[in-house]
Amino acid sequence: MAQYGVVVVVAVTLNFLLPRLMPGNPLALIAGVDVGMLTPDQRAEIVARVGLDAPLWQQYLRYWGDIFTGDFGFSFRSSRPIVDMIWERLPWTLLITGLSLLVSAVVGVLLGAISAWRRGTKGDLGMLSGMISIESLPSFWLGMVLVSLFAVQWGLLPSFGAVTPASDLEGWAHVWDIISHAILPVTALSIVGTPGVYMTMRYSMLETLGEDYIRTARAKGAGERRVLFGHVARNTIAPVITVLAIRLGFAFGGTVIIETVFSYPGLGRLVFEAVAGRDYPVMQAAFLVFTAAILVANLAADLLYPLIDPRSRTS
Amino acid sequence: MTTRTAVAGRGYPREGASGEPNLLEIENLMVRFELPAETVRAVSGVSLSVAPSETFALVGESGSGKSVSMLSVMGLLPSPPAVVSGSIRLEGREVLGMPGRLLRRFRGRDVAMVFQEPMSSLNPVHRVGRQIGESLRIHRGVARSEARRQAIHLLDRVGIPSASIRVDDYPHEFSGGMRQRAMIAMALACDPKLLIADEPTTALDVTVQAQIVDLVRELQAEYRLAVVWITHDLGVVAEIADRVAVMYAGRILETGQASDLYRATRHPYTSGLLRSIPRLDRSVTTRLAEIPGAPVRVVSELAACPFDDRCPLAADGCQDALPELEAVGPEGHSSACIHHHEMGSASSLWPEGTAAGRQDSEEQPGDVVVSIRDLRVHFPIIRGMRESRKRAIRAVDGVSLDVVRGKTLGIVGESGCGKTTLGRAMVALVRPTGGTIEINGEPINHRSGRHRKVVQMIFQDPFSAMNPGMRVSDVIAEPLRIHRLADAGTARERVSELLTQVGLPPDSGGRYPHEFSGGQRQRIAVARALAADPEVVVCDEPVSSLDVSVQAQVINLLADLQARTGMAMVFIAHDLAVVRHVSHEVGVMYLGEIVEKAPRDQLYEDPLHPYTKALLEAVPVPEPDYDASQRTRLVGDVPSPADPPAGCRFHTRCPVAVEGLCSTVKPALEEVTPGRWVSCHLVSPPAG
Ligand SMILES: Nc1ncnc2c1ncn2[C@@H]1O[C@H](COP(=O)(O)OP(=O)(O)OP(=O)(O)O)[C@@H](O)[C@H]1O
Ligand code: SF4
Ligand code: SF4
Ligand SMILES: [Mg+2]
Repeated sequence: MAQYGVVVVVAVTLNFLLPRLMPGNPLALIAGVDVGMLTPDQRAEIVARVGLDAPLWQQYLRYWGDIFTGDFGFSFRSSRPIVDMIWERLPWTLLITGLSLLVSAVVGVLLGAISAWRRGTKGDLGMLSGMISIESLPSFWLGMVLVSLFAVQWGLLPSFGAVTPASDLEGWAHVWDIISHAILPVTALSIVGTPGVYMTMRYSMLETLGEDYIRTARAKGAGERRVLFGHVARNTIAPVITVLAIRLGFAFGGTVIIETVFSYPGLGRLVFEAVAGRDYPVMQAAFLVFTAAILVANLAADLLYPLIDPRSRTS
Repeated sequence: MTTRTAVAGRGYPREGASGEPNLLEIENLMVRFELPAETVRAVSGVSLSVAPSETFALVGESGSGKSVSMLSVMGLLPSPPAVVSGSIRLEGREVLGMPGRLLRRFRGRDVAMVFQEPMSSLNPVHRVGRQIGESLRIHRGVARSEARRQAIHLLDRVGIPSASIRVDDYPHEFSGGMRQRAMIAMALACDPKLLIADEPTTALDVTVQAQIVDLVRELQAEYRLAVVWITHDLGVVAEIADRVAVMYAGRILETGQASDLYRATRHPYTSGLLRSIPRLDRSVTTRLAEIPGAPVRVVSELAACPFDDRCPLAADGCQDALPELEAVGPEGHSSACIHHHEMGSASSLWPEGTAAGRQDSEEQPGDVVVSIRDLRVHFPIIRGMRESRKRAIRAVDGVSLDVVRGKTLGIVGESGCGKTTLGRAMVALVRPTGGTIEINGEPINHRSGRHRKVVQMIFQDPFSAMNPGMRVSDVIAEPLRIHRLADAGTARERVSELLTQVGLPPDSGGRYPHEFSGGQRQRIAVARALAADPEVVVCDEPVSSLDVSVQAQVINLLADLQARTGMAMVFIAHDLAVVRHVSHEVGVMYLGEIVEKAPRDQLYEDPLHPYTKALLEAVPVPEPDYDASQRTRLVGDVPSPADPPAGCRFHTRCPVAVEGLCSTVKPALEEVTPGRWVSCHLVSPPAG
């Protein structure tokens, strides 16, 4: 647990120090103000308001206080509180990353298991090479292909946004609207995410199948099904869970490209907009959120692992 | 009966010696592995039979095809790459080619198997009880609660204390010996007729091995069980087996009653094996008889005697055809050697040879090279991010020893008693927590590393101790480079000189370690250790990963080199017979302490400490009629060195512990007779 504390402190400290140590005027980076346009008085007033005149350690403490109270400052493009912007975007990102991870996990684990069980056969090798080629697809290209086929060419699904603007749909119609907008980004993310899960699963299961205790189970007269579900499954899945959790953490970062391609109003697109508009405060807040996501996911894996593998339970 | 000429009608079990139909009959079994690079012929025409309640031992060196033969009986070989042919009948029913569904009914119910590595053979994520009950659930369809109840009963039967609690443990919470007991409980669950035990004690300490051997013997009588015991240890075979088959290169070279094989072997290979192992029941010879070369790996169909290139009797005809087993004596004793009539006595066939000027008994006290005083090495127990200050693993806990020039100090003890840590401390691979190590009167300085030239180490696993990407010549020359002892030219000369000294062709320096066999790699390790002309060589289990027939070569090599160079040796091993063979003085370690230290013959002929006695009694004697019933057996396992018992550390297992005294008062290591130190309340130094 202590490791998590260390990572949080390092991340927050870096986030605090970077703008202050970067060349140029820190005011622009922290307060998000177009410095050149201000009179010296206005400037001094802002410096005082955001506390840049205080000693560094006081600023640092205040920074922590701000984070605990959920105050990330203001976007300098829209002048809105950044927390509000994040709360607005987060659900959409959670929706598509959550769904796509579910799809990649199910498909990756199933195909990986089939591949390992039939190791060395044509089916295994075919699947393996298929996954390797998917792995090498650039995700923006994949997104564009999906958009041009399903949205532009066939007009089956909407090509941008999370809901139809100004449509005031209600009930099931509203739900369907959300689903239809999510299908393409989720598909793209799932396709990109599956090979990694598949490879991990296949490798982990091959490893397990070669273990002595599998031979012991067969020596007891266990049938294939009992071997597979009673002995292989749980030992195989433990490392896969860890990989999945870590992917979940990084999935947030992975949404930047896909959300941009689909103009999907999630965190990834927020980051893209912030980068394009040099909205440093927003970028920093997003960085903290991404870090937090990775930490939470790792924590979940750490807590889950002992449930599956008794050897990692500390006495 | 085990020859291939006797053919009985299929489906009708032939009769064994006891008049009952045979349980297992294997005829002309062939197994090959079709690998991408080559085809390995693991078994080439094995025939054998096992009668009900008989113990049949399958002996042979690594790779001789023992496991593969028995795994084919279970139908457990991976296919592909395995291709199996011949005939395997269980109670008269052919199992080769039987569909998996039917075969599974035999497995675990009629035939059960116990494997070598009890840890990796148990599923780490399931409770022990569940794994034991599993075959009951498979074959008898009993309910979960009933399976658990029977698992408790079985655990109790195989001697696990408080079985009703331990039944819910996970395998990693068991000790090595308990895991193997659990494996045996698992095998017995459905009351099988045949138990196949594949090296069930190889990974265990002698004391635990003795417990397991006793247990299997007991259970065998109780369950009327036939046992096929696979092993490379001829001592264990003599203890348990009724009949034996000796395998080599996928063939049975000799088979018969155990007593016939041990007393009147009719095959040069068996005779060589029996001659080359050091034994506790014989006087120490200067040099062991050795079988030259290394076991072969068969990649093409055998057309000649596979032992031909190592056989002292090899003569006309050995190359012409594959010798078949033919009867050479009573009760099914047969041998696959065409010259078995000319064998003569074992000692003339496999002479002990003469030592290269090794003088043993001269009692000039040499000078002390390494002097260890009150050495302590504690390893902190790491919990999460913090290390616990209070608790530590006391691997070495107050050891004092002297290593004398030209002599060998043997260190024995069960695993986990601190032998290896002691050795590593001597070569400064671990930093002592307390005490001193002096080399030639100078304390070891961890920074300068100068002592590393004086003290060298040889490890158990020769391969993992070498960088696989380095040529042999560079491996050997490494110490020369590190200590700047030679320029490139002289280094090359020195390397070929060293290679000759250890019995390798002087031009083999250009090859890589993986191109050599285990025994040859250990020779390379010896050459590397000798490169810097050390005064002391610490050998940590130098022969325990080697084939039985190769062990003697390395042991002899070390003894020869010592005689030639006058170096001192520290020989750490769990095999008491090997240690006896090489040592002048022996120290017995228990839980980080020396409990007895004495000149070799005194220690082995008249052990004083109860632990030394127990260790010696646990060693199986390769003599079939040796009466084992009088022996005391150590119970239980070594306690954790993190929290050693109070008083005498051995009192929890000591058969003669004195109540009230041994558990509270720690005995001191005292000199009972000159040169002989013992720490036990019952062994007192002479008064005055
Ligand atoms: N799954 C496999 N694939 C390829 N070769 C194999 C396989 N299993 C065994 N072999 C080969 O078959 C030969 C016989 O092996 P086996 O395991 O029967 O030897 P063993 O007598 O049991 O030796 P050990 O004492 O090391 O257990 C060896 O050369 C080995 O390399
Ligand atoms: S057949 Fe020839 S080579 Fe083989 S063991 Fe007999 S004498 Fe030796
Ligand atoms: S001191 Fe007591 S417990 Fe220890 S070895 Fe001697 S008799 Fe046994
Ligand atoms: Mg084996």
